[in-house]
Amino acid sequence: MRELRIAAVADIHLGEDLRGHYRKKIEGIERRADVLLVGGDLTRHGTIAEGRVVAEELSGLPIPVVAVLGNHDYHSDHNQEIVDVLRDAGITVLDDEGAVVPVDGVRLGVAGGKGFGGGFAGKCASEFGEPETKAFVRHTKDIAERWRRALKELDADHKIVLSHYSPVKDTLMGEPPEIYPFLGSYMLAEAADAEGADLFIHGHAHAGTEKGVTPGGIRVRNVALPVIKHAYTVYCLNGDDC
Amino acid sequence: METPHYVAARVQRALAEDERTTELGIRVDVRGEQVYLRGQVSCDERRHQIENVAREAAPGLHVHNEITLVEVREPGEEEHL
Ligand SMILES: [Fe+2]
Ligand SMILES: [Fe+2]
Repeated sequence: MRELRIAAVADIHLGEDLRGHYRKKIEGIERRADVLLVGGDLTRHGTIAEGRVVAEELSGLPIPVVAVLGNHDYHSDHNQEIVDVLRDAGITVLDDEGAVVPVDGVRLGVAGGKGFGGGFAGKCASEFGEPETKAFVRHTKDIAERWRRALKELDADHKIVLSHYSPVKDTLMGEPPEIYPFLGSYMLAEAADAEGADLFIHGHAHAGTEKGVTPGGIRVRNVALPVIKHAYTVYCLNGDDC
Repeated sequence: METPHYVAARVQRALAEDERTTELGIRVDVRGEQVYLRGQVSCDERRHQIENVAREAAPGLHVHNEITLVEVREPGEEEHL
């Protein structure tokens, strides 16, 4: 089986003021990567107009593009319209589901969505008390459950989880610990560890660090633009020739 | 004088909630009458908007804009997993 080259980025936060800029940086991406994964916070305010800028910047590439939304893309309550705009432009958008992307006969399975917060084992919120607290925790729990199912159902040679929120603390290093519960949840890692995956990609933590690992040993990469400081990073998944 | 702690909280909220900025990742520190803004953004216009919103939220204080621009570079080396 051949090696798979996964380009990944998150938090591109596009708007009218950046139209055309990001596109310039990803020209020729097909020479470096087989697929581009985009981990949410595609826009700043989550407006449909910004969604159209994102669609323009990411569409028509010679390689498949798979994306999830981030919290910013929900801000104007037009998340569903943004998903539609992106899908119309040929981008695969995962909303707590999986998809198989064929790459030269290799089936790459990607599962995920926006994700959510709650914190990390031992220091996390639990489904207890006020309805607001319960709703917060249950939102993450439901998402994690859907990801687990999506991963299980993926019939693929390699599996990647694509998220906006982080599954681990490792990649939050550099962020104030007080806000960790708003940056991710261990439940996302638990879902991935239960079904297995080759890589977990996320963004959201602009001040975090790139590399981490789940308790079950899945490599985690925070590809938020301010973290990787490049238009995207390329991760190679071992083929037989690698 | 207003407690610096609350000034910082107000500026931070303004930066997150004001439609001109919607920036969640800016660090705001207030020392006496000095307000320090730190973080990274992707263009100069956004850096200026952040300063404007911060000034409005902290009238009379001296705002230091220490925000840096992220220069998005061409992709570098790949990692083999
Ligand atoms: Fe972001
Ligand atoms: Fe985010």
